[in-house]
Amino acid sequence: MKMVRLDKQKFNDFIRELSVEYSVYAPGKVSGKTGFIPVESGDEIDFTSTVTDMSAKSIFFPHSEVLFEYDEDGIRAAQTSHRPIAVWGMRSCDARSLVMLDRVFGSAVQMPEDEKFQDPYWKEKYNTSLIFGCACNEPLSTCFCNWFGGGPYNNDGMDVSVVDAGDVYLMEPVSEKGTDIIGKLSCYKDAAEEDKALAAKLASDADSMMIAPPDTDGLGERLTALFDEAVWEEISAKCVNCGACTFSCPTCHCFDMQDEGKGSRGKRVRIWDSCMFPIFTMEASGHNPRALSSARVRQRVMHKYSYYPENYGETLCTGCGRCVMVCPVNLDIREVLKRINVYNEQEK
Amino acid sequence: MSMVNNLRKTIKELLAEKKIDLFIVWEKGSLPLSATPLFITSEDEADRAVFDITCGNNLSVYFTKDRKQFSDKKVGIAVKGCDARSVVLNILEKQIDRRNVVITGVPCHGVLDKKKVLDKTDGREVLEMIDDGDTVTLKGKGYELSFDRSEILSSSCLACIYPDAQECDIFIGDARAEIPNENRLKEIKEFEALSSSERWANTRAEYEKCIRCYACRNVCPSCYCNVCFVDQNDPGWIGNTCEFTDSMIFHIIRNLHVAGRCVECGACERACPMDINLLQLNRKVAMEVKDRFGDIAGLDINGKPAMADFREDEKQDFIMG
Repeated sequence: MKMVRLDKQKFNDFIRELSVEYSVYAPGKVSGKTGFIPVESGDEIDFTSTVTDMSAKSIFFPHSEVLFEYDEDGIRAAQTSHRPIAVWGMRSCDARSLVMLDRVFGSAVQMPEDEKFQDPYWKEKYNTSLIFGCACNEPLSTCFCNWFGGGPYNNDGMDVSVVDAGDVYLMEPVSEKGTDIIGKLSCYKDAAEEDKALAAKLASDADSMMIAPPDTDGLGERLTALFDEAVWEEISAKCVNCGACTFSCPTCHCFDMQDEGKGSRGKRVRIWDSCMFPIFTMEASGHNPRALSSARVRQRVMHKYSYYPENYGETLCTGCGRCVMVCPVNLDIREVLKRINVYNEQEK
Repeated sequence: MSMVNNLRKTIKELLAEKKIDLFIVWEKGSLPLSATPLFITSEDEADRAVFDITCGNNLSVYFTKDRKQFSDKKVGIAVKGCDARSVVLNILEKQIDRRNVVITGVPCHGVLDKKKVLDKTDGREVLEMIDDGDTVTLKGKGYELSFDRSEILSSSCLACIYPDAQECDIFIGDARAEIPNENRLKEIKEFEALSSSERWANTRAEYEKCIRCYACRNVCPSCYCNVCFVDQNDPGWIGNTCEFTDSMIFHIIRNLHVAGRCVECGACERACPMDINLLQLNRKVAMEVKDRFGDIAGLDINGKPAMADFREDEKQDFIMG
């Protein structure tokens, strides 16, 4: 498809033009931590982080989201008249995560059309959104997107791919929506042949910076076979079962629903939950099927690398490395997967 | 023999002499700024043990994990001064049987705060760190930085007066008693000097960052309730959103639950993925406890936790008055 070049000096014009139709989100700093925030100009954007502290999932699936409110007059759906959302600067790991979440919230692929569950709160935001990616020229040592079919220049989930090429951004539509927006906006020029060559060179440089992945073929089946093995006690020994990994993860999507009410008025709120917490599986009887840490850690690993792939054909992990960075006890998921590979071969 | 070799030798001896079933210590982590907990059950694993500036975890937290998982075991544990106080507090609160634990002190010169390191590098990734005891050198893609190690130490360490275990069975080297530290209360006094509206704004700005992941609670050896109040829903004591009012209530209640029990190790603050200044309120309350009850949490193995004790000569005015 057609590649165009946007001069960085015209970046603010671009954001302004985009803002006419869209609410624009981009990486920004709030109290020193980076995440995706609404912006009105390029000056508010943080261009320094490779992987933002908080992922892009919160744009479409916020930590706390009011589903409906009620009082004496009845029940009212939460306000849904959002302007469509455009996101600038999304790395391939986050763009891919949205495709994975969309299978759960938007369009489960294995279901017949009329039985598909469609989460209106997700769909309303995600289906009308426009994702401008941002290829990674400098992957971090914690990045492992290449383990599960991704890569620093992967375009899955993007409408427009973007390459930072020094003084210019090189943009290429990936989807129909992307082609439309590139046709509509005016502040860029067609890219030259040398631009295309530069983008290709940057892509191969970035790929070469990635560490070769271990063998992950058949990981899901291996995990299933290990369900009752003692390896989970060993792996989970250091885990303190906080939710730092799940909340920083771009693909973790479990939630709780709580009614916050007083008297006859109140609201129902959907709130991020975590399989690391004991109450996550606490049953009304008082029995907890995942009372121990090992069962909870196993669940998180199984969901990502066994159950979800079984349902949807792809791993529920984009290798962004956030869980590796935030874990207070340095329980490194990459080490866990390597351990599982070895355990399977030697000890079972 | 170096300190770390001495520590490894000690672990091997304890295991060989069957004085313990396992030893809890740190090993080199997968990232340059992180050590990771290690549970040693055989002598050949002992050579993985380390102790350095990256060993920020307070390992006493593992005694109370999974409903006192080690209660039928003899456990050796490596402790910094603050961690030793956690072990003592856990003993005083009957979570650990003193006879079943071999407290092994290591000489602590402070542990790093990743947030301070990343401030130094402007957020650039650290690929290698070298600590020569005075100077820390950070290396990453296209940069190398050196500075005094005190500049990246955890705020808990900068205010520490008991760097070494005051109660222990073995000490690797010579343990120091209380050390003078003119910065002991510096941050707290600065906080107190603010007007009440400034204190409120400051506290609000910190707790507004909370995402309710509970990393602070879960790395804290003093937070071991079988069912935490935030993990209850019948009744649900507090809301779980990350709106300020919900988060603030969580942090204030946690703060008061660890009053007289917080050893100021700073593990909570270092664990926080949102860089909340969690120690501020905890240290303020610890200072109040010291002032009113003369008690420093986990210091005296023969004492009683401040909130479990009563003396006639205690100040009788309202606790936070």
